[in-house]
Amino acid sequence: MARPRNDEELKNKTQARRIRQDKLAARNYRLAASLPLFLLLMMTIGFFVRTQPIFAQSSIWQLLSGTVWKPSQGQFGLLTFINGTLWVTVLALLLAVPPCILTSLYLVEYAKRRSLGAILPAIDLLAGIPSVVYGVWGLLVIVPAVPKISSFLSSWLGRISLFAATNPTGYSVAAGGIVLAVMISPVIISISIEVLRAIPEGLRHASFALGATRWQTVRRVVVPRALPGIIAAVVMGLSRAFGETLAVMMVVGNTPQIPHSIFDAAYPLTALIANNYGEMMSVPLYDSALMGAALLLLVIVLIFNLGAALVLVRANRRAKV
Amino acid sequence: MRTHSILFNLTLLAGLILSACGGQADSPSGAEEVTLSTSGAFALYPLMQRFAEEYRAVHPEVSFDITAGGAGKGISDVLAGATDFGMVSRELKSEETERGAAGFAVARDAVFVVVSADNPYIQQIVARGLTTEALNKLYITQEFTTWGDMLGDPSISDPVNVYTRSDSAGAAEMIAKFYGGTAQEDLHGIGVDGDPGLLQAVLNDPLGIGYNNLGFVYDFTAGTPLAGAVVAPIDINANGEIEEHEFLETRTEAVEAILSGDYPSPPARLLYVVTNGVPSGATLEFLRWMLGEGQAFVNEAGYVLLTDEELAAQLAKLP
Repeated sequence: MARPRNDEELKNKTQARRIRQDKLAARNYRLAASLPLFLLLMMTIGFFVRTQPIFAQSSIWQLLSGTVWKPSQGQFGLLTFINGTLWVTVLALLLAVPPCILTSLYLVEYAKRRSLGAILPAIDLLAGIPSVVYGVWGLLVIVPAVPKISSFLSSWLGRISLFAATNPTGYSVAAGGIVLAVMISPVIISISIEVLRAIPEGLRHASFALGATRWQTVRRVVVPRALPGIIAAVVMGLSRAFGETLAVMMVVGNTPQIPHSIFDAAYPLTALIANNYGEMMSVPLYDSALMGAALLLLVIVLIFNLGAALVLVRANRRAKV
Repeated sequence: MRTHSILFNLTLLAGLILSACGGQADSPSGAEEVTLSTSGAFALYPLMQRFAEEYRAVHPEVSFDITAGGAGKGISDVLAGATDFGMVSRELKSEETERGAAGFAVARDAVFVVVSADNPYIQQIVARGLTTEALNKLYITQEFTTWGDMLGDPSISDPVNVYTRSDSAGAAEMIAKFYGGTAQEDLHGIGVDGDPGLLQAVLNDPLGIGYNNLGFVYDFTAGTPLAGAVVAPIDINANGEIEEHEFLETRTEAVEAILSGDYPSPPARLLYVVTNGVPSGATLEFLRWMLGEGQAFVNEAGYVLLTDEELAAQLAKLP
C-alpha cells in the first residue's frame, strides 16, 4: 500500500479506521449483550418443547393443581412442590430481610469505618461458602435444634396451625428456611451496604444541620432514598433462595405433601428435579414432567422478578418526587 | 520482571514435557492411559473402589473416577454418556434396556431395616422382631404410626419417625417391594439424601426407622453394625418371635443369611455394573476382570458371591 502523501490524507484514513473499529465494537458488544436474553429464550423454548408429551396426557391445570406424585402410575401433580418452594422461600425471606437491613443500616450509618472494613470481608466470605457446607451445617446443627424450637413455639402458639409441632424429626420447612436465610443474608447485606454508601453524604449533613438526630436522618432521609436499591437487594436474595437446591434438599425432609405448619416436611421444586433426574430414563413421561417442573420454576422466578421490577419502578418514582 | 516470567514459563513447559515422557516410560506395556468413570448406587460404591484399587495394581495405566449418588444417577449418567459405567442396585427396567443399558451382575447384597440402639423399645424389637405386614402399614398405607402399633403393644404411644431415601435409589425400590409396594414413590416418610445421610438420620433419632445397604450398616473392620445402629430383625416366618437365624448381629451372619436364602429377596438383590450398549476396549477389559479375577475380592470386601450359574450367565453376556 502506498504511503499517505500528506497529513490530511493520513488523518482521514485514521479517522475512517477508528469509525470502522467503533462500529465493529458496537456490533460485537450488542451481540454479546443480547446473548443472555437469547439463552433465556432458548431455555424456555427447550423446556416447553420437552414438556409437550406431558401436556398431551394431562392439562396444565391438572399438573398445577394435582397433589399426587406417582410417576409410575402416570400421576404428576406439582402443587405440593410449588407449595414447598414458596413456603421455604417466604420463610427464609421473613427471617433474613429485617435483620439484614438493620445490619447494613448499622454498619453504614452508625458503625465506625474500621468495623465496616472488618465485617465486609467476613460477609463476602459467607457469600462464597459452597452450599453443601451450609447443608452439612444445617444437618448437624439446625435439624437437631428444630424439634426444640418447635416444642417451645407450639407451647405458646400451638393453637395456630402454622406453628403446630407436627413433625418430631426436625427435617422441615423451618430447617430449610433457616439454612436458606443464612445463605441469602450475605447477598442482601452486601448489596444494601453498597446502596447505602452510594447516597450522597451531603443529604445526611443537610439533615443534621436542621437538627435531626441520626435515627431521624436514617428514617426520613436515608431509607426513603435507598428503598429502590434495598428492594433490589431483597430480590437478589429471593432469586438465590428460589434456586438453591442442595442445602435445602439436605434438611427439608423431601416429603411430597402440602405443609400446614412450618415444622412440617416439604418438597421444593428444585429438590424434586435434583432427586429424580435419575428416574428420567426409566419411567415414561418422567423427563417431560421434570422439564415441566423446571419450566414452572423459571416462570415463578420470572413472575417474582417482574413483580419486584414493578415495585422498583414505583419506588423510584416516589423517591424522585 | 518480564524475563522472569518467560523463564518461569519455560521451566514449567520443560517440566511438563519431562513429566509427560516420564509417564510414557512408566507404563510397562506402553498402553494408552485411560480413565474409567463410574457413578451410581451407594451399595456398590465400596466394592467398586476395591475393584479399582486391585485393578490398578495390575493395570497402572488405568485410573478410576468413582462417585456414589444412587442407582438412578448411575443409570442416567451412563445412558447420557457422562460415565463409562453405572452402578445399579436393582433390576434394570425395560425402558432402560430399550435405551441400550446392558447390566452385568458382579455381586449380591441386601438392604436391612435399621433402628437406633437408643430406641426405648429396643429389647422388644430385638425379641419380637418387625413383620413385613407392620412395615407395610407403616411405610406404605400409613395405618401404623406408633411403636405400639409396630410391636402390638397398645400401651406404647411414641410415634415412629419414618425415614426414607430422597434420591432415586435401588435400596428404596428393593425395600418398597419387600414391604409389598412396587416403587420408591410408594414409601412415605422423611426423605433424606444418600445412604450415609439416611443412616445418620436414624442414628440421631431414637424413635426413627430407616433402611441401609449391607456395606453401610455393618462396620467394615469390626463386622458389627455401626455404633448406635441396630439391624432390626424381621420376623420372616411371622411366628411372633425371633429365632437365631433371623437376628443378624454381624456382617458374617448377614452374608450367610443372604447366601442361604433365609434373608429373602427382595431386599436381597444382585448388584449390576451397567454399560451403555455393548462394552468394548478398556471398558470391556475391566468388566471381564471384574467377572474373573475380581470375584476373588467380593467376599473380602464383605459382599456375597454370585452362584456359579449366575456368574456364567454374566460372562455369556460379554461380547
